[in-house]
Amino acid sequence: MKTRLCCLTSALLGIILLSGCWSNEELPDLALVSAMGVDLEKDGRYTVTVQVINPGNVAGESTQGTGESASPPVSTFTESGWNLTEINRKISKKVSRHMYYAHTNLIVISEKLAQEKGILQVFEVLERDHEFRSSAKVVISYRSDAEDIMKTLSSIDKVPSDKIINTMKATEKAWGEHVSVSIRELIAKLVSSGEEPVVTTFHTTRNKGETLQSIQQTNPAGRLKAAGLAVFKDGRMVDMTTGETSKGIVWLLNKVKNTAVSVNWEGEKHAAVYDLMRQQTKVTADVEKGGDIRMKVDIAAEGNASEVKIPINLASPDVLNKMEQKVEETIKQSILSAVDKAQDLETDILGFGAVVHRTDPEAWKRWKKEWDERYFPDVQVDVSVDVFIRRTGLRNEPFHRN
Amino acid sequence: MPYRLRRLFRSKKQQTHSIADQKNRTPLETSLKENLKEFKKRTGNSSDVVIRTLTTGGMQWEAAVVYIDGIVDNLSIDEFLLEPLLQLQVPASPVQQQDVPEFIAEQVIALGGIDPVSDWETLFEAVTIGRAVLFIDGAAKALSASTIGGERRAVEEPPTEISIRGPREGFTESIRTNTAMVRRRIKNPNLRVKTMKIGRQTKTNVEIMYLEGIADNKVVEEVRRRLKQIDMGSILDSGYIEELIEDQPSSPFPTIHFTERPDSAAGNILEGRVAVFVDGSPFILHMPAVFIQFFQSVDDYYSRSFIASSLRMLRIMVFLISLYAPATYVAATTFHQEMIPTQLLIVLSAQREAVPFPAVIEAFIMETTFEILREAGIRMPKAVGQTVSIVGALVIGQSAVQAGIVSPAMVIIVAITAIASFTTPSYSMAVAARMIRFILMVIAASFGFYGLILSFIVITAHLCGLRSFGVPYMAPLAPFIRADFEDSVIRLPWWEAKERPRLISGQNSVRQGENLKPEAPGTQSIRKQRKNTGELDED
Amino acid sequence: MERAKINAGQLFVLIFLFEMGSALLLSLGIEAKQDAWLAVLTGMCGSLFLFWMYYRLYLFYPDMLPTSYMQHIFGPFFGKIAAYLYILLFMYNGARVLRDFGEMLVTSTYTETPLFIINALLLLIVLYVIHKGIEVIARTGEILFVVLYVLAVTGSILIVVSGLINIDHLKPVLEGGIGRILKTAGTETLYVPFGEAVVFFMILPYVNRPDKIKPAMFSALVLSGINLTITMAVNIAVLGVDLTERSQFPLLNTIQAIQVAEFLERLDVFFMIAIIVGGFVKISIYFYAVVIGVSDLFRVKEISSLIFPLGLVLLFLSMVIASGYAEHIKEGLRFVPLYMHLPLHVILPALLLTVAALKKRHSMNKRKQS
Repeated sequence: MKTRLCCLTSALLGIILLSGCWSNEELPDLALVSAMGVDLEKDGRYTVTVQVINPGNVAGESTQGTGESASPPVSTFTESGWNLTEINRKISKKVSRHMYYAHTNLIVISEKLAQEKGILQVFEVLERDHEFRSSAKVVISYRSDAEDIMKTLSSIDKVPSDKIINTMKATEKAWGEHVSVSIRELIAKLVSSGEEPVVTTFHTTRNKGETLQSIQQTNPAGRLKAAGLAVFKDGRMVDMTTGETSKGIVWLLNKVKNTAVSVNWEGEKHAAVYDLMRQQTKVTADVEKGGDIRMKVDIAAEGNASEVKIPINLASPDVLNKMEQKVEETIKQSILSAVDKAQDLETDILGFGAVVHRTDPEAWKRWKKEWDERYFPDVQVDVSVDVFIRRTGLRNEPFHRN
Repeated sequence: MPYRLRRLFRSKKQQTHSIADQKNRTPLETSLKENLKEFKKRTGNSSDVVIRTLTTGGMQWEAAVVYIDGIVDNLSIDEFLLEPLLQLQVPASPVQQQDVPEFIAEQVIALGGIDPVSDWETLFEAVTIGRAVLFIDGAAKALSASTIGGERRAVEEPPTEISIRGPREGFTESIRTNTAMVRRRIKNPNLRVKTMKIGRQTKTNVEIMYLEGIADNKVVEEVRRRLKQIDMGSILDSGYIEELIEDQPSSPFPTIHFTERPDSAAGNILEGRVAVFVDGSPFILHMPAVFIQFFQSVDDYYSRSFIASSLRMLRIMVFLISLYAPATYVAATTFHQEMIPTQLLIVLSAQREAVPFPAVIEAFIMETTFEILREAGIRMPKAVGQTVSIVGALVIGQSAVQAGIVSPAMVIIVAITAIASFTTPSYSMAVAARMIRFILMVIAASFGFYGLILSFIVITAHLCGLRSFGVPYMAPLAPFIRADFEDSVIRLPWWEAKERPRLISGQNSVRQGENLKPEAPGTQSIRKQRKNTGELDED
Repeated sequence: MERAKINAGQLFVLIFLFEMGSALLLSLGIEAKQDAWLAVLTGMCGSLFLFWMYYRLYLFYPDMLPTSYMQHIFGPFFGKIAAYLYILLFMYNGARVLRDFGEMLVTSTYTETPLFIINALLLLIVLYVIHKGIEVIARTGEILFVVLYVLAVTGSILIVVSGLINIDHLKPVLEGGIGRILKTAGTETLYVPFGEAVVFFMILPYVNRPDKIKPAMFSALVLSGINLTITMAVNIAVLGVDLTERSQFPLLNTIQAIQVAEFLERLDVFFMIAIIVGGFVKISIYFYAVVIGVSDLFRVKEISSLIFPLGLVLLFLSMVIASGYAEHIKEGLRFVPLYMHLPLHVILPALLLTVAALKKRHSMNKRKQS
């Protein structure tokens, strides 16, 4: 018994001590990559720019009164090559630490890459690698390189990738023209046959926001700004929507949380504003015997009247009813414009195919192959919007009523 | 085979030893002078030995009283032993010289315990525990009178187990006081006390106490058997006994519970456990002990059950923290950085930037420093203790961080661990955690969470494999016993806890009557009363 | 036979943990696409029959290990061969599970650590527990059961709170018809994980109250079946069919998708705890069956002298059964169910049961005649 115990202990000790530490890494040996941008070179190579956090400048002793530290919160490193794994290894020529991607929460794809080569190849490795978070968000750079976006510093959020993600989330919640898409959601839509993804695009001014001086102004020189929604078809970006069309897409994806809808009133443009509080969008499919497909979109929205430019009596239910109808019409228009756009582009970004799949699996089997090109553009869409104005703020009638 | 042989050999040896013991006794002499001479020789003229010679019975009998000063009650020697002897007149009927001791024992001495002594060994056993011995010239017999006394610590509040609510008295070093304190709480003739003397030099009184009819007879027998097997030179504290009768001495976890509180002891005896009192030790042992018992404090039983239950769960959680906190920190920062929230990781990373050591070394330095401080704090006289805490605060606080040797996060982790390790009510369990913590840190540094999870399984398996006097250590969790669960991790209200722990008491498991749950007067009970008296007849 | 005994509750816990073991790791019955969860459920129902078979066998010989009563049923020669086949099966399955866990850890977290070290560590723990005997395994199981359940409940709450569940992913139900589900259940889920519990006929003789075995066994099976069904349904609802299909460890991806308050993210450790706990119990049971089987078959009295050598065999077997993960999985899906599970989980027990029943009737007739 004793000898066996000794054997066991020595074996255990041997394993523990001799094994050393394989997969471990001390914190100061890691370069925390906060964001990664991918560009396409003319010869077809990828250029990857990684944004690495300088922890000391983000969380360090900045409270000790020196004000803004002398060095920026992030540094970027760029390298190009034929595939991402190789680039990641090659980048070590420039960085003193091990590149650590587990905290990368933003992937930026350049517009050019998305349009010309498609994004499928890039995301294959991101999905396969064990370090990457599948919850990292994806954006497309609009009229700028991914590298520019990586390099632009931001003022309120110290880390620029946080700034982009938070902006995207905030505007998705408050305005509803953009959606934040994670790697997982993006891939799920890329591979599913009845759905195509839309991705938020971001814009920055080239060469303006790279220095600390740029963010020492109240109005930073280089500014990261959400632009529109990139529309994909078969993994390639085919167009970008903005404004009402984008909003329509977001409505149809049931992702609108809050937004403002302004309506015209007796000749005055954008005279009354409806502040949406919550909504529920239901998309159902109706497949007829002949093969005609009708999609039914039902929206129930709840909110307040928040602003009027002209003297109308908001205390009157009749006026509110009229306003509700106008809001319904406006929402309907924006949804229809989204549908038109998608049908023009022959790409099912609205997920109608998935709805048809759920409703009529048998028919879907026949249509699946040619859905985007043949069936989707001919789908009829009925939109019914039900808007409720519950409250009108702290006042009933506006003070400029006379 | 060799084992059996060894056992055979041992038992024979013991037997011969005890027979020899009886044979080797040397009888007393008849002459007082000879006896006193021999006595002086045997005690080597120690200065605390008092020999008082006197004549009694109307100047006809030479006698001497001997005792050891300090461990006897001087008052009772003076008043009840010396005074009657000195005032004794010539007896009415003549007494034979050899019958004098009987006569004195029966008619003169006014003390409760009087025993005749006829050999030197018994005589010294008596004298060394504080009895006075009376030699009388002409008889080969002496009398030993119970005059045990001397200065002893008074009953005080137990310093190691402080309770908010509940009795304030704690055990003392006197075994009689201790058993009395328990007896005062359990007024039941079935409360048995059995005495044995252990220790060749110290001859320490060890007493077993249990409640006949509730305690498991097998456990009582087993305790007695194990105590009998002890063949030690000296027993100075119950710690000796604990180590000698444990089931698994090689385990870091204690399998015998000790307490300094008579109420806790009484509670355990009432649950069917066996208590072992050791003379000279304010800590009594009780067994069998289960793991969960070390997380129960007496206050749990005096406060409301819901609060007691949540506190117990807190203690178990905190025990895990005190085991795993530094190891988890090491594992998370060196292996699993992905699971630390990004913002926190940036902060940690910024702190660690300037620290010259790997995380595990940092953790080792800080934990060791803390252990040193704790050890110093316990041993220091109170007056110096202040200095220790000031220096300690400097070492594992601000200056260490400012010097860039450790990161602030590590200081926080060490502080949490330190506080956590003080919440375990049982000292022996807290000490076990202290030791294991360091091993876990090494494992965490080598294998990260994989190692920690495996270590958790090993610790669990080890605990599940332990037994304390036949009772599985992890009962009533594993094996799960629903009836016993009511007082384990949680404590159900008394009216729900109807049964004693089954595994421990073994017999007579029903603890109390039915329907103990209090009800507000005016509702149910009054309705019931009225119904009984016929006042209420609408339903 | 060891004289130790376990109670019915402990049997329940062991079967449950055993079933959850590596099954949590894999995408069970994903051949049935979004109906995988139904395939799991169907497989569970089918396995109730298998279990009934094992239970009947036990009733014929309640005090004997299968390795002994097989010799009773088939005669010493063929019985020994059958018993030996089972020992080989358990050994191989144990090695497979060990390999699964090693691969999981190496793929997901410990990319630079050699597989051998990971496996050796886990096996070391298993050896320690086996050394302590079935009672300790069972008691440890009870504690780990609680740990696993706490994790499962917390995990489910977190998944729901992060708003990950998308029921649409599970629709349309029964797209491929009942046939596809039955096929998947019959070729896959019936054997792994449910049929694997055949190993418990080695454990049943250790249960102290024979009358309680039946409810404990079946409720454990049903509960674990339901849990696996829920797990699979959640995986698909969170990840979608396609991702679940392509994923090596779907549950890991599901857990990685959790995102609560931008604070709780990447809870891979949850997954690791669940997997290691389950795997530990599973390997322990297999290995224990091997050890007692060998000691019973070859009449080795000292069980502890078998533990080390057999453990080494298990360890090396786990290393050599496949050269890479792809090969390992392919073997598991193509060859093992057909050539090992079908004959040893279904056909041989059925044969044993028939012969045992015939023998019993025969002997009863004889008794009547005399």
